[in-house]
Amino acid sequence: MALRSLKLPGVGTKYEFMTDKGDTVAIFFTTTGTIQMYTLQKGCQSSSAAEMTPVEARRLGNILTGAIIEADQESVEIAFSALADLRVTIHTFYIPRARAGQTIEDLQIRAKTGATVIAVCRQDKNIINPPPSFAFEEGDAALIIGESDQIKKFESEILVE
Amino acid sequence: MEGFIIALFVCLVLALISKYLSVPAIPFYILAGIVLGKAGLGIVQSDEISQFFSEIGLLFLLFFMGLGLKLDRMIADPKKLLTAGIIGLIVDMGIGFTAAYLLGFTLLESFIIGTAFYITSTAIVITTLIENRKLMMKEAELIIWLEVFEDIVLIAIIALLSSGDKDLLYFFLKIVLALCVMYAIAHYGKEFLVSILDRDDETPILFTFAAVLTTAALAIMFGIPDSMMVIALGAALATTDPEAFEQHARPFKDVFLVMFFVFFGVTINFTAGTDLFSILILCLLAVVSKFISGMLIGITIYGSAMSGLEIWANTISRGEFSIALAVLYGSAVVGTVIAALVIFTTIVGAFTAKYSTWMRRGITHRSRRKALMHRPHSSR
Repeated sequence: MALRSLKLPGVGTKYEFMTDKGDTVAIFFTTTGTIQMYTLQKGCQSSSAAEMTPVEARRLGNILTGAIIEADQESVEIAFSALADLRVTIHTFYIPRARAGQTIEDLQIRAKTGATVIAVCRQDKNIINPPPSFAFEEGDAALIIGESDQIKKFESEILVE
Repeated sequence: MEGFIIALFVCLVLALISKYLSVPAIPFYILAGIVLGKAGLGIVQSDEISQFFSEIGLLFLLFFMGLGLKLDRMIADPKKLLTAGIIGLIVDMGIGFTAAYLLGFTLLESFIIGTAFYITSTAIVITTLIENRKLMMKEAELIIWLEVFEDIVLIAIIALLSSGDKDLLYFFLKIVLALCVMYAIAHYGKEFLVSILDRDDETPILFTFAAVLTTAALAIMFGIPDSMMVIALGAALATTDPEAFEQHARPFKDVFLVMFFVFFGVTINFTAGTDLFSILILCLLAVVSKFISGMLIGITIYGSAMSGLEIWANTISRGEFSIALAVLYGSAVVGTVIAALVIFTTIVGAFTAKYSTWMRRGITHRSRRKALMHRPHSSR
């Protein structure tokens, strides 16, 4: 797999690589802010393309790294190799109706699972570091940080019951 | 002043329409100018205010051109680009110049028409490549670099034209001196410039605006062409932080350049003695000559007429630089010819760029069918 990148005047940056099987993938970060991805199958004449916004491109990136578990829930694992290979996972979950109205304190999230709620996204508004008295609503997207075991525990104990 | 506001409002509507239809907006602006101005309804007149705004638009267009000349960016195969660039220059400029001269324009007018005929619109070509999702085509990279090649040729031509009949040695000495000063400022003041650009307040944008206008004013004061000096300023500042300058200069360029196009249209006067016949001939030739040069480039570089077709389809549109030439050096007649040239080629170019894949497929299918029809004969 040979990756090459180059800057094209007026267009932006191009990244192109050929897979071992001979297919080509090219990504263009254009100066207009959109990202275009082209794929060209081996032996084919014309490529096919998809244009993405930066958010969509990041989403695609998450899918490709294998971090996504469900289509609308994402997780990122960060490894700090300098700190004895410390691994932290951040995962988003949607709060089900059964948990609406309950606070972080009621649910005893930290005590039961070890994971922490670091942010909640409610209708395009973000609440960073919600206090223990914070009450969830149905449809909130909660950002949970912890080890991958703690995240699993959160999913099984808090969300499903 | 009311006329100016009307023009601005019309442009806003046209910009929205052109973005919705995803076609280039430049011909719409010029047409709007023609309809509103002298040749049309006569609602909008060109006055001191509009001239000043148009001038700023032109200065920022040239400043952007300079910013794009980053010497550290090099193409993978400069020989290929040089071959393609020279083919385009000789064929297109040759045809444009000869045709204009034969149609009875003076030598200087023919030269300006020839140059406007040759220079394609970087803005339109690159936007349509992106919008039609053609960046991965093997010809795309060459087309993009050809635009840079044309910019460099244009700078040389601007230098040539603006020298005029003045004392050449003294004139070039002044230019070289001004260039040295600019590069020295960019080189020794780099840290200071970057520190200004990094600020979050109004200073970076104010600085960019002031730098362009001051340079133009100083150039006029010292009797050197301001267009040249603004390009040089862009090229000198490109050695510091070109992305930041582009970001801060973009709002000015976007607004004032639109004004520049509209008021170019406003000043067009069809009664200035141009006959429709020569305009039509030049417009048709503008499309044909790009076909010839495109084919020659395709065959020499890629050994394929299909590549030539693709290059032709994507490089038909003339635009901002042709108009800039008309405004800087052209007479009223030349202005009308170039306006028609830009409108005609951008409309044709928008279609060919959109349907080139379709055209190519049509041609390959037909030849394949022909090959199939021939096979029974040859096997017999």
